Amino acid sequence: MQHTLTFTGENIHATITVPTNTLLADAAQHAGVDIGQPCGGQGRCGRCAVQVTLGNARRRSTLRLSPEDIAQGFALACQTVVEGDLAIYVGPQEKIERRLTTDRVVAEITVPPDYDYDQVQSIQRVHLDLAPPSLEDQTDDWSRLQTALRTQVKMEKVACSLHLLQTLSDTLRAGEWQVTAVVERNIQQPEMPMRLIEIYPGRVDEYSPLWGAAVDIGTTTITLWLVDLVSGQVKAQVAEYNGQIGRGEDVISRIIYSSKNGGREELRQRVLDTINGLLDTACKRVKVRPEDVMKCSIAGNSTMIHLLLGIPAGNIRLSPFITSVNHPPLLIGSEVGLAIHHEGTVDCLPGVASYVGADITAGVLSSGLEDSENVTLFIDVGTNGETVLGNRDWMVTCACSAGPAFEGAGVLNGMRATTGAIEEVWINSESLEPTYRVIGGGKPKGICGSGLISLLSEAFLTGVIDKAGNVNLSAKTKRVREGSHGGEYVVAWGTETETGEDIVLSRVDVDNLLRAKAAIYAGFTVLADTVGVPLESTSRGLVGGSVGKYINVEKAVQIGLLPDMEWSRFEFLGNTSVKGAYYALLDWRRRERIGDIARRMTYIELSADNSFYDAFTSALFLPHTDMTRFPSVAQALDKT
Amino acid sequence: MALSGIQIYKMLPQTNCKECGFPTCLAFAMKLAAKQVELSACPYVTEESKKQLAESAAPPVRLITLKAGTEVKAGNEVVMFRHEKTFYNKPGLFLRLKASDADLAKKAAAADAYKVNYVGMDFTLDGFAIEADGDLSAAVKTVRGVSKRPLILISNDPAALDKALSQLAGETALIYAADPSKYETLADTAAKHKAVLTVRGDSLEALADLTPKIQAKGVEDMVLDLGGKTLGEWLTLSTQARRLALKSNFKPLGYPVIFFAGQNGPEKEPVYAAQAISKYAGFVVLDTFTPELAYALLVLRENIYTDPQKPIQVQPGIYEINAPKPESPVLVTTNFSITYFSVANEVEGSGLPAWLVVTDAEGMSVLTAWAAGKFDAERIAKAVKEFNLAEKVSKKRIVLPGHVAVLSGELEEELSGWEIRVGPREAVDLPAFMKQALN
Amino acid sequence: MPIDIPKDKWPGSIKKITLGATAAEGGTRAKSITLGGQTTLPYLHFEAPTPNSPAIAIEIKSRKPEDWSPLLAEVWGEAMNDPAKWAKKAEEAGADLIVLALMLADSPDDAVKAVKSVLSASGLPLIVWGPGQAEKDNELLVPVAEAAKGEKLVLGICEDKNYRTIVATAMANGHLIEARTPMDVNLAKQLNILITDMGLPADRILMDPTTGALGYGIEYGYSVMERLRLAALQGDSMTQLPMIVTPGFEAWKAKESKVGEGVPESWGDWKARAVHWETLTAVALVESGADVIVLRHPESVKRVKSAIEELVMA
Repeated sequence: MQHTLTFTGENIHATITVPTNTLLADAAQHAGVDIGQPCGGQGRCGRCAVQVTLGNARRRSTLRLSPEDIAQGFALACQTVVEGDLAIYVGPQEKIERRLTTDRVVAEITVPPDYDYDQVQSIQRVHLDLAPPSLEDQTDDWSRLQTALRTQVKMEKVACSLHLLQTLSDTLRAGEWQVTAVVERNIQQPEMPMRLIEIYPGRVDEYSPLWGAAVDIGTTTITLWLVDLVSGQVKAQVAEYNGQIGRGEDVISRIIYSSKNGGREELRQRVLDTINGLLDTACKRVKVRPEDVMKCSIAGNSTMIHLLLGIPAGNIRLSPFITSVNHPPLLIGSEVGLAIHHEGTVDCLPGVASYVGADITAGVLSSGLEDSENVTLFIDVGTNGETVLGNRDWMVTCACSAGPAFEGAGVLNGMRATTGAIEEVWINSESLEPTYRVIGGGKPKGICGSGLISLLSEAFLTGVIDKAGNVNLSAKTKRVREGSHGGEYVVAWGTETETGEDIVLSRVDVDNLLRAKAAIYAGFTVLADTVGVPLESTSRGLVGGSVGKYINVEKAVQIGLLPDMEWSRFEFLGNTSVKGAYYALLDWRRRERIGDIARRMTYIELSADNSFYDAFTSALFLPHTDMTRFPSVAQALDKT
Repeated sequence: MALSGIQIYKMLPQTNCKECGFPTCLAFAMKLAAKQVELSACPYVTEESKKQLAESAAPPVRLITLKAGTEVKAGNEVVMFRHEKTFYNKPGLFLRLKASDADLAKKAAAADAYKVNYVGMDFTLDGFAIEADGDLSAAVKTVRGVSKRPLILISNDPAALDKALSQLAGETALIYAADPSKYETLADTAAKHKAVLTVRGDSLEALADLTPKIQAKGVEDMVLDLGGKTLGEWLTLSTQARRLALKSNFKPLGYPVIFFAGQNGPEKEPVYAAQAISKYAGFVVLDTFTPELAYALLVLRENIYTDPQKPIQVQPGIYEINAPKPESPVLVTTNFSITYFSVANEVEGSGLPAWLVVTDAEGMSVLTAWAAGKFDAERIAKAVKEFNLAEKVSKKRIVLPGHVAVLSGELEEELSGWEIRVGPREAVDLPAFMKQALN
Repeated sequence: MPIDIPKDKWPGSIKKITLGATAAEGGTRAKSITLGGQTTLPYLHFEAPTPNSPAIAIEIKSRKPEDWSPLLAEVWGEAMNDPAKWAKKAEEAGADLIVLALMLADSPDDAVKAVKSVLSASGLPLIVWGPGQAEKDNELLVPVAEAAKGEKLVLGICEDKNYRTIVATAMANGHLIEARTPMDVNLAKQLNILITDMGLPADRILMDPTTGALGYGIEYGYSVMERLRLAALQGDSMTQLPMIVTPGFEAWKAKESKVGEGVPESWGDWKARAVHWETLTAVALVESGADVIVLRHPESVKRVKSAIEELVMA
């Protein structure tokens, strides 16, 4: 029996007649409608989803489609056969990709609904109306300002720097005794003196922005959010590789470098340069000056905080692993060397121990783990591979050296998740030809973390590499070849790329990725074992990290980075550390909770016995030596 | 049954007061679970929790200590397989001597004086078992004349034992053995002299019947003779007894066991003793003393009772790969066994000759050791000097692992006259590096 | 008092594998040897019988080895110059099978000749080892596998960096392979996975977890074997393979066995010590689950055989 199929979509209008049981993908091809099938028509990738708006089609496989998708008529062209006349809508690629049930995209950042600037923000901007002095009123300028603060805005005991005193008289007179003061208050201990940060002549619109910055100093990537403290909104988000990378990829190398002559100062300068550069970029974006930023909250691992503050970090790596300070006091911009307002507050968030820093305490806060009733697993896919397991009653944490591979560093063609980064790859299991998606849509420059995750998974599933990561040089494709570092797979030929050079996945890259994922997996499995909580009993898996804008959970499971739980149990939180810093920047109560988290968290030293090493070698395989831990991957392998 | 950290945590105050010396109650609970700390360190734990925790902490196999001039401990074991945690108390090796033996003093003296060194440790036999086929007291006196080591007295004559034990005031000896037919008087003797009593029976059931009766007579410290006439039989009995103690928490069999290795003749004795050492014996009695057998058994015992949680290490030193010549290259790595193996295997497989210097990095891999300050220029230089490398090679050139390229400058300073080259990061790239860069 | 003895009921069991093929099975061996089949830990007869007794192999070489201990040269004598004679003598000494180790000096023709001469001199199943260097192993083992097609030899030694060629030739010619990994449970499993992924059925793999001699790391090998066996019984199919161990090679490498002079007096008599060293290494490994024990000295063979008999006896 013959059926008539009508394809519509952007620039698509085609009609064709085909017999019963024709594959939708074949029908489309005959009709001249291009539906991409990156996985080679095996129903693996879900990229060929179309919407059947009218008529009967039989879906052989609904993998990748949610019940809602099916209710809306979505079907995979490569897995669906014609059983009647059909009207088919072919949506734009980008939309289809985002439909994948496996994708976890970072939620847009929103201002906490309970944010009340007046109540919870430590930085306050107040308008003061001073009585001008006269021969009768001989009060000095500073006392006059203090009186106004006390009587008009109830600010007792305000301290002030010499620099402000030097400019005070001019400011007061320039504003004709109308001034706007920026004051830092200590909400928790109101009896403590407040600190005058800045005083402007005249009156400022009370709803105009007051600037703050939330910063995460990652070992590999530094992220900065520029925040309007009045509305609480994030106005700019910027990130850059940490300028210290050239002096070592991991914290240990940095510590050792810092212990050398001049090394500490050099590393301090490098991280300051990166942060100040980011500050500049972010400020330019919203057309303000860095010195308009009045407060900066900083998260980062203990080493990064020590190096930022120029504090010797040597003892962090040597037994018994003691930091100089876990909980630095409030500092000001000029003494730290940040290009924010020279009197602006610098708040370095508290950490737990040498290898569990403020990045994790802040991350735990923003992930909501410390508040959850059920046991939750929080995995930071970062250079130090920190993991936290627990709930509102207890929390344990560990760190393991995963290296920077998932942030795109230390990988031949790796890059950060910015324009030009390949963020997703599919390999056709027959032809071994790849299809990839580039952030920004232009020519690729390299591969970011999420791209590396999907590339590794695809290379493994299609047999380009074996379970040990060896590149299969006998694979029948010219994309597999002997490179300068052993076997490699060409993802993009030079003719397609921004640089004109081939983009490849080399054996060394595979090893780095394997080691990174094995360290992270081993970290949380040993952690769970140590406290005697089976991993399966965790209700949620929260994933943080700078891998990209999204993470494909299925791919991350397939390479054995994440445990094989239902995909729906995972949430991708992106950079949780900067988010925690953002919360701390806004709200002193949340800032206090980070301190509380630091006190409650129990650190587990993984190197205490052999179990970590054992778990690590066991995880140094795709997806894992123990396949029973990855039933869904075993299934996927059977299918390909 | 052992409790997990979380289970113990739930019995603690959960105040994170830090008075126990740990940052959180959970950290303390996990140390308790690992038996690395005493519960008494917590000032606020409730009596109820204390009781529960004490029960879970009681050792399933009773600790028995034989004491004289030296000490031997047995028991307190918690696992069936050494990899699960570790085997704690090495089985005591005893030599059986006959009271009637005219050469008793000579034999005891020779065995007592035996000492052998194994990787820096001195090993000796642990004591003597004296068989009362003659005057036991006289024999004890003779042996005490030449040895201060603990004794096992093989006799079921309470009077003879009483007399012999009276000479051993202040010591804890082991009596061999009470059986169901005659245990009361021996139990009294043991109780009187605070001696440990061996209990013998035809079956585990018979033993389990007997130990509570002896306990009722005031003897807490016992050792079991499980019987068993072949290797297979003994393996079965010993496994069953250990399992009952550990898995079923079956107290009547929660004692160390003794095994007589010479029971089927001297030819089988080495193998019998070896099985007893690996398979749960607390005391092993030999009939033969020769240095070569004692050495082999002492080393086996040391190996089986090594803590498997310690990283696997190889002996630091210079390893010769593919018969190196003086001009062959010198590679350096750490003594973590996996690191050593991967380097040695790659080079061995390539057929290229090399000297491999393995430094003492406390069993850590190159990167870990470097991170922890256990693999630095100073240590490498020390190894090179200590192992007299300069005398073996003509080309004074050392290849560093690529991961610690940063050490090259310092190493040049430490080892003047040596050329320092940075090799590849991964062992797999070594053969290519050796072919291309080292010629 | 009746006691309820705790018994383990395991979901998994060790695969049965057969070495060597008789005329009826397409080869020329006088008998074949079946290993494996265990359903519980070694020799715990109160849980299950031992279905197949472990086998003892004697290691011989294609040429007289220059670096072997004089004690071994003394017992094997002239036979060391001729692998066929050596194999025969090994059979007389009680071997259940022969390990023939090829040497670096062998050409492919030499290797084939040595294998054929051993096959005709002794009816025991045969394990053939390459000299231990990737390229040379492949060069010698491929023609050997082809020349002995159908004999169900065991070809060794496959390691993670060099397994493809040997596995391919074993598949093509109906042989088994020996898969060696350096004393690590995970690495052992991984190699087995890689090999079976190539299409070789698991019942044609003999797993060699590597061990150290007494005093030289035997405890690591011992525990790795216990763990492999436990994993297998717990149902991990990639560890359910019989294990081959080489205490002969390891023990005779040790100074304790190899040399008689310049050692401490407390080490005692050289010859007795050497045999103790090999025997005790072997017996500890038998207890931890070895299925094939490769030895060098006839006296050790006798003692280990006797120990196995006592353990297997119900």
